[in-house]
Amino acid sequence: MSAPNTSIRRKTRAPRPGTVVRFIVVIAIAAIVFLPVYVSFLSAFMPNGEIVRNGIWPNVTRFTMTNFIKAATSTPLPQQYLVSIAVVTLQTIAQMITGALAAYALVFPRWRGRGMAFILVLITLAIPGESIVIPNYELVSQIGLRNTILGVVIPYLAAGYPIFLLRQAFAAIPSEIWEASRLDGAGDLRALFAIIMPACRPQVTTAIIWSALAAWNGYFWPLLITDTDAARTVQVGIAQLPSSDATNPAVVFAGVVLVVIPTMVLVIAAQRFLVNGLARGVLR
Amino acid sequence: MALRTPRTVPWSRRGSKNGIGPWLLVPAAILLVVFLFRPLARTVQLSGYASDIIGNPTRWVGIDNYVDLVLDPEFVHTVFVSIAIALLGMALATFTALLTVMLLRRRLLAGGLFSVIFSLPFAYSAASASVIFAGLFAPSVGVLNVILGGVGIDGPEWLANPVAAVWAVSIATAWYQFGFAFLVLTAAVRDVPPEIVEAAQLDGAGALRLAGRVLIPMMRPSILFLTVTQTIDGLQTFAQIQVLTRGGPANATTNFVYRLYQLAFGNGTPDFGRASVIAIVLVVIVAAITALQFRLFGRERNA
Repeated sequence: MSAPNTSIRRKTRAPRPGTVVRFIVVIAIAAIVFLPVYVSFLSAFMPNGEIVRNGIWPNVTRFTMTNFIKAATSTPLPQQYLVSIAVVTLQTIAQMITGALAAYALVFPRWRGRGMAFILVLITLAIPGESIVIPNYELVSQIGLRNTILGVVIPYLAAGYPIFLLRQAFAAIPSEIWEASRLDGAGDLRALFAIIMPACRPQVTTAIIWSALAAWNGYFWPLLITDTDAARTVQVGIAQLPSSDATNPAVVFAGVVLVVIPTMVLVIAAQRFLVNGLARGVLR
Repeated sequence: MALRTPRTVPWSRRGSKNGIGPWLLVPAAILLVVFLFRPLARTVQLSGYASDIIGNPTRWVGIDNYVDLVLDPEFVHTVFVSIAIALLGMALATFTALLTVMLLRRRLLAGGLFSVIFSLPFAYSAASASVIFAGLFAPSVGVLNVILGGVGIDGPEWLANPVAAVWAVSIATAWYQFGFAFLVLTAAVRDVPPEIVEAAQLDGAGALRLAGRVLIPMMRPSILFLTVTQTIDGLQTFAQIQVLTRGGPANATTNFVYRLYQLAFGNGTPDFGRASVIAIVLVVIVAAITALQFRLFGRERNA
């Protein structure tokens, strides 16, 4: 608490009591939030049952890579990793292409029904994905794509949210830029990919990250549409490890660490972007 | 904005002002119709059918599935469980994130490090978070009760006690939601104009008054956005339940999506009809929350 007449520009050397209390509360919350991460990493690098036997303080002499070797050799995770990479790549590229094309059509050319089309895109945002899996399961099974990578991605080759994000970004571009490029004789596709897309790179990045994260984290649909270990994504694979007889908890924790590494690198390396790009992007 | 076309522009360019533009919507439109609007309509249709003995939805029963479910105490329980898990997870995540962001707003020793730590849960999917919490809550080898025991607290049997199991699922949900909540609220607090904060401080506002009278009111749209999206996300909780409790003990944690999963894809004869009724109930609730959000946002903008 600052006294009424304290100048806000004053720089204090010794921490004020309020700051100390603030620091202690932050440490307490951080300890709780960090606990699951800490437990999973510690368990992954220690012999099975380490924490229950010897408590949560690490003993570096018992450090081991055995759990990771087991996770990489005696579980289907490596194969599932490849499936997930394929799913993320296909889904993200497809959502960007269909999204950019759709956003372009919704912003630049004037045509009858454009407003209605945008409202339909907005409506898709309010449809919970879990509620439409039964008919999609019927359809994808009928066309013979069950248990395939294409079957995992096909319902998600277009998504409402990237269309919405890109549409908002394109709408903020002065239409003179588009009209000038058209007068220069650029076709729609050239205007879109050579002029419009580069002009809103931050929002395009946000859309790419959103699509990739959604693809990587997907669970319900990939679980339903795959039947064999080899066709599953890492998220489905990791969720099935605890109930598998072949693995002990330490190997499961090692598996979680492996599954979480790509997104954890993103969070640590791009923390500033996640706040300024992704978090601010979803608010607009 | 319509640009008036000068007469000097060649005819070919004038005539093709719209070019193929509007048609670029077609790929997305086809995909959204086939994989979103069609299944929505088909779900409504399926909800009027009962299954034959091999699980094909062939017998038209009209609204019987709806009547059965509404009269089924088990279903009423499912509604309560779904709402309880969604609201508990949302409240825990949003409140803790708001508190954390307020505490980190001004400079703090190692503030950058703390920001990274508080963002870490965002790296976890529902599935990977659930697997970790399965290890934390496990009956005999659960790490959480070992730690709680270390500070003299006798932890409950997290997954065997019906009330504790609802908390366990909600805590796992709140933990992975916290990362996103922290990112969004950090962006929101940074968007509060510094002049307003300084003016309030010059008026003698302390930390609590500043938060309650200035910061939180200015962050209202973000807080509203978070409470709505996290409630909707929480209503669709599935991985946490499948990994932690399988809907138990005694259906204590069976929510909409888990019930839908059991009915349509569980071990018994598939019952797409009843599962579709649950899907429709979920759609209606989520649509209602979304409509409410639009109304509140509209009011916010007009105020």
